[in-house]
Amino acid sequence: MPGGVPCEVRCRHRDPQRDRSCATAPVRIQRRHSIVSLLEVKNLEVRFAMRRQELIALRDVSFKVEKGERLGIVGESGAGKSVAAFSILNLISKPGYISSGEIFFGGKDLTKLTAREMSQIRGNQISMVFQDPMMTLNPVLTIGTQMTEALHAHQDISREEAKQRAIETLARVHIPSPATRFDQYPHELSGGMRQRVVIAIALITKPPLIIADEPTTALDVTIQAEIMELMMELCESSGVGLILITHDLGVISQMTERAIVMYAGRIVEEGDTRDIINHAYHPYTHGLMDALPQKTKPGRRLNQIKGVMPALSSIPDGCAFNPRCPLVIDLCRTTLPQFTVFGSTRVACHRAAARTD
Amino acid sequence: MVAARWHQFRDSGFYHDFSRDKTAIISFFILCLYVVVCFSAPLVAPFDPYDPTVIDIMDSEIPPAWLERGDPRFLLGTDAQGRDLFSTILYGTRISMTIGVCAVLLQAFLGISLGMIAGYVGGSLDNFLMRIADIQLSFSTLMVAIIFLAVFQALFGTELYERLAIVMLILVIGIAEWPQYARTVRASVLAEKKKEYVDAVRVIGLRPHRIMFRHILPNTLSPILVISTVQVANAIVSEAALSFLGLGMPVTKPSLGSLINSGFEFIFSGSWWITIVPGVVLVILVLVMNLLGDFLRDVLNPKLYKN
Repeated sequence: MPGGVPCEVRCRHRDPQRDRSCATAPVRIQRRHSIVSLLEVKNLEVRFAMRRQELIALRDVSFKVEKGERLGIVGESGAGKSVAAFSILNLISKPGYISSGEIFFGGKDLTKLTAREMSQIRGNQISMVFQDPMMTLNPVLTIGTQMTEALHAHQDISREEAKQRAIETLARVHIPSPATRFDQYPHELSGGMRQRVVIAIALITKPPLIIADEPTTALDVTIQAEIMELMMELCESSGVGLILITHDLGVISQMTERAIVMYAGRIVEEGDTRDIINHAYHPYTHGLMDALPQKTKPGRRLNQIKGVMPALSSIPDGCAFNPRCPLVIDLCRTTLPQFTVFGSTRVACHRAAARTD
Repeated sequence: MVAARWHQFRDSGFYHDFSRDKTAIISFFILCLYVVVCFSAPLVAPFDPYDPTVIDIMDSEIPPAWLERGDPRFLLGTDAQGRDLFSTILYGTRISMTIGVCAVLLQAFLGISLGMIAGYVGGSLDNFLMRIADIQLSFSTLMVAIIFLAVFQALFGTELYERLAIVMLILVIGIAEWPQYARTVRASVLAEKKKEYVDAVRVIGLRPHRIMFRHILPNTLSPILVISTVQVANAIVSEAALSFLGLGMPVTKPSLGSLINSGFEFIFSGSWWITIVPGVVLVILVLVMNLLGDFLRDVLNPKLYKN
């Protein structure tokens, strides 16, 4: 359900405290509509054609990223976060394919581009930062080669100039003595350094949008904070839009302005990050919040959401979360919930109104 | 720059392993000796075996110099036509090595490109190419080569064949053995393709051919290097076998194989050296190449490290 539905009609919750945000919501929604979005994903559906059956990995996924906006996508492993990111770049490998939906970027529908047109977008307009910097750099090529390659692929630029740009970009991601690093191989750098190099490769063509797929999962905690701070700083200084995929709600709350919660291939909740963190409506989002270690007293067992996410081949009828949901009612087992808007958030849950805490 | 490279090489694990492996050092030394001596054959050899004016039929079948009836002019004796065996072996080894290396270059070119495409593109193209490779491997190399060379000789006559012999042998051995490379490369490409750095360069927007040959190929080089040494040795043996069967180099421009063959008729009349000497030269050449191949395989595959 698009966010443009007048808020008053949809506003069902009874909490007087929340009414304030509800009143301001229509204004915000209108503001979003007046700008042409950087990226707009509409009703995206991705399927995997397996031998026996077709699995649907993404169902009816719609979201937008504005210029310079930082959007977080959260969810368990297998919720479809990475598939969503890869499908934006049209990089889902066989047997997966985009079965329906549109992805608008720069006035073009990316799902309809030829391979050649698409490779002009990749790396040039949209870059990606991957999870494990140990794996994403080619071990046999120097840092410099791998950086300038992106430039040469998209711009008519001399070798000297490209080298200059690469060294500047290395300096921007705070790599000490960038000129020396330029000629080194990935194994000569530490994990955090490598992730900085990966970010530098993503930045070097000055793209308007970067997709970061769990960029800090493979790093240790202190380095994580540094990398996050770096990405934040780079986004703010250069106005780059960011899609941050993670399962770390702490990272989401620090880094992003808006957040999407995914479960079993669908968006279950979307809204301003602060509202999602403070007033989660979907029981799944709630479960994720409760599972944060800070929410448990020392010495107690951590809270967890009972059960596991269903396999793509056996997603239950109705709401996919119903077998694990503490608030489940009969309706949840039969009917798929539509989006309901509460202030800045939209949530797909029959019981969202019951969440008033 | 060169000095820096040399220092880098001196410090590398490769050099370290090499300097500790006596077999590898000796093999490498012998191979270098072969290459230097044979490719400077016109300077080193006392006679030119291709020049009929210096050959005297009266000198035929003279045993090596240290034997009774030996002639100090002919260190390793002479063959049935009165050519100095030492000079002929030098020139012959040069031909054998040229054919071996060029045939392997051809194999590598065909095998690497087809194997790379099969592995990277996958799907029905992969199936198609690999089934062709399977079919070709099910015929023995020698059988294909014999049929092909015999048909060529029958069609175009021996005279044209003798002129084109080197090229023909390179083509036949090169084409017959490409599946070895294709399979090895394909297997490594399948493993490399799944690694994240390939996704990462696809995200950069590089074209497939650049991804294949600039990013994946250097990562598959170690198995390619290992089979290359073995394949050169194999190609030399194949060439020798074909020549021995009379389908290789003509007697006027003998390779090691045709020398062995030419002496074979005389082995029972006591002139054993015409066959045995080039035979020993061939065996040593192939042996050192295989030993170097073993060394490379051990060094380049850390999983095989003993202790």
